Amino acid sequence: MSLEAKDLYAALMHELKNNLGLLAMAMEQIPRQDSEAHDRPLDDARLLCQQVIERLRQSLLLYKAAERPLPIEIDAYSPHEFVQEMRDEAASLAHGRLQVSAAVDDGVPPIWFFDRNLVDIALTNAIHNSLAYARSRIEIRVGMAEERLCITVSDDSDGYPEHLLHAPGLDTPLGSGGTGLGLRLSQMIAQAHVNRGRTGELRLSNVPGAAFSILLP
Amino acid sequence: MALRFVSNNEHLIDYGSLRTLVVDDIPGMRSALKMTLANFGITRTDVASTAQEAIFRLGNGPYDLILADYNLGEARDGQQLLEELRHRGLITLQTVYVMVTAEAMYERVAATAELAPDDYLLKPFNGEVLRNRLEVIFQRKLAFSEAHRRFAEGDLEGAVAACDSLMRNKPRYLVDALRFKGELLNAMGRFEEGEALYRLVIEMRAVPWARLGLARVLHALGRAQEAEAILLDALAAAPEMMAAYDLLAEVRIARKDLVGAQQSLQEGAAISGKTVRRQQQLGELAYENGDLETARTAFQAALDKGRHSIFVSPADYGNLCRVQVEQGNLNGALDTLKKNKDSLQLAPEGQLVTAVIQSMVHSRSGQADLARRALDEAGRLRGEGVHGDGRLMLDLADSCMTQGRNEESDAIIGEVAKNAHDSEALLSKAREIYARCGRAADGEELLKKATADVRKLNNEGVYLAQKGDFDGAVSRLLTAAKEAPYNPRILMNAAWVLLRDADQNGLKEGGLQEAKRLLDEVERLAPGHSRLPGLRSQVREIEARYGISRRPHP
Ligand SMILES: Nc1ncnc2c1ncn2[C@@H]1O[C@H](COP(=O)(O)OP(=O)(O)O)[C@@H](O)[C@H]1O
Ligand SMILES: [Mg+2]
Repeated sequence: MSLEAKDLYAALMHELKNNLGLLAMAMEQIPRQDSEAHDRPLDDARLLCQQVIERLRQSLLLYKAAERPLPIEIDAYSPHEFVQEMRDEAASLAHGRLQVSAAVDDGVPPIWFFDRNLVDIALTNAIHNSLAYARSRIEIRVGMAEERLCITVSDDSDGYPEHLLHAPGLDTPLGSGGTGLGLRLSQMIAQAHVNRGRTGELRLSNVPGAAFSILLP
Repeated sequence: MALRFVSNNEHLIDYGSLRTLVVDDIPGMRSALKMTLANFGITRTDVASTAQEAIFRLGNGPYDLILADYNLGEARDGQQLLEELRHRGLITLQTVYVMVTAEAMYERVAATAELAPDDYLLKPFNGEVLRNRLEVIFQRKLAFSEAHRRFAEGDLEGAVAACDSLMRNKPRYLVDALRFKGELLNAMGRFEEGEALYRLVIEMRAVPWARLGLARVLHALGRAQEAEAILLDALAAAPEMMAAYDLLAEVRIARKDLVGAQQSLQEGAAISGKTVRRQQQLGELAYENGDLETARTAFQAALDKGRHSIFVSPADYGNLCRVQVEQGNLNGALDTLKKNKDSLQLAPEGQLVTAVIQSMVHSRSGQADLARRALDEAGRLRGEGVHGDGRLMLDLADSCMTQGRNEESDAIIGEVAKNAHDSEALLSKAREIYARCGRAADGEELLKKATADVRKLNNEGVYLAQKGDFDGAVSRLLTAAKEAPYNPRILMNAAWVLLRDADQNGLKEGGLQEAKRLLDEVERLAPGHSRLPGLRSQVREIEARYGISRRPHP
């Protein structure tokens, strides 16, 4: 692909993403009517819209990562505030159909250094997955593990397929059920976080139900 | 045991009372944002589609919250809008400014800018995210209100103390408090403490703003070489850090590496060429380095980008035309004048620029008549007290001498020399003019005489101040300032001695006002001069000490 054509593709993806954002905002203006027949398709449409937006964000990130290592912008954020934001976002998409909760473990420091935008992309993918697979509940929890900040999204689904548990993300062949793109990117995002020789990590487990953890040094 | 989430907010924000301005060039985005804000009770929302319109609206009254798109589809972007609003005093530290961007890259550009917005929202975002972010930002503003209030009152000590107390009592604001405190220490000239602070932050994590802050204090401490190494390191890790290119250029100028300085600004401008001041500085450096083509492009870009910016002055048109003339492109210079006729005719200084450039062009193309007419016009304006920057005045002197008007040219050059007794660039340009007209010896004598008085007054004033004879020092330096009213160095020394006098011997009638007037004048002549923040903070300290109240916002 020529350089110009590539830029054009990126610009197009941006435009799609932003227009879908406008569409999502417009849909938020449609009042709910407490009738399943009205609200259900509306909620589904909103979720779908967010999922497509998320896909475009992922594609843009992937496009960027093809040129050079993931550019990373570290700053200090409050894990409490961050997790609360993720919780509220998930709850607004779940619309009471699933119970969404969040928790902060003792010992989580008031600030941590990470790339908020990248970690947001990883966690949003996990939340969207859980919204699709969970039976009744989603929990977002932040704690400490091996001196790293550990943010976990867990649910009560059937859990990840066996092959993903052993080799999440990068090592999974594309096309083995779903795209696998979200988990792949999540692993790249985790690994792009490096501090004093320690690297971030993505961990998947079934506890039972799926648990997605991103560990940030 | 884990804590369930309970809201950890200490204060309720009254969204209904917030005056809000949404700045976006896309109508759909404006209305979507307005509706989304209304969903959580922010109903007093105005909209603007351009930076120009936003500035106009803010001129008519304050806002509590501004949501601005980074890409405004015109010359100015959301970051420049923020800088201009701060510069004009149209927003305070209490105003919440949130940048909306479509691309994470812009965040990286703006994150390290001198003036960081309160937060970024990456497009697209939903109402939930917006509500959350606003809640967090307003809680933070509340936590910092004491520090911000003290700062606005000029009580920098108090602001530092408020930061220290935040660090002790609200650890979640530790890094924000360190960042603000670093800026305060820098403004107060407490560079050693600033160095320790930034090293402490870097010990936690080498975030870009801390590296930049460290380089800035090292530069202020005269440790240019260390500063340069840190900046090069930081740029290798984050090449989008615009402020680092600007600072690197400053550091290299201090190291007398003008070619390196130009290169740094060129690299910065290649990534983001929109900043008027970066282009102006690049143009000046390139001109000084004899790289006329780069100078021309940069001066042209400064004018293109700064069409409505307060950072553009008539001198910028003069700079571009001068380069065009020196490149032999006389028609180009006339074209520039013609295209910008409206802006130039607006101010007397612009009229002077027009007349001077015309005189240069016509005398080079051998049209003595037209040249004479232009010089007459320039002379008339000068008679009315109109004045241009040093280079323009030397151009005028050059034209005069070429036309045989020696008396006029000597007077102008004398004036320039007085006002730039320490500028080797201008003095040597003056010598060149004399040499070209076969009057090298005359010139040498005139320059010596013109600079001698000012230099003597200045040196005596500084010496007497150090001896403790403030009456003598003040009178010498105020005389010097009257003799050389456009000389930033002299004006700053005069302000400095007035402030030291007030500091040690108490306030004297009109002394403080005079110091402030001098500093305002310096700001106009040499915007962003590195000595200004220190002197300004001395003014504030003295005002605070004597309980002189300032308007809530400058
Ligand atoms: N919460 C979950 N519960 C059960 N299975 C999941 C969950 N999240 C992800 N998966 C499985 O992992 C696969 C890969 O997920 P992901 O990388 O996000 O890509 P995609 O969402 O495109 O399928 C999914 O297709 C699904 O089979
Ligand atoms: Mg997915």
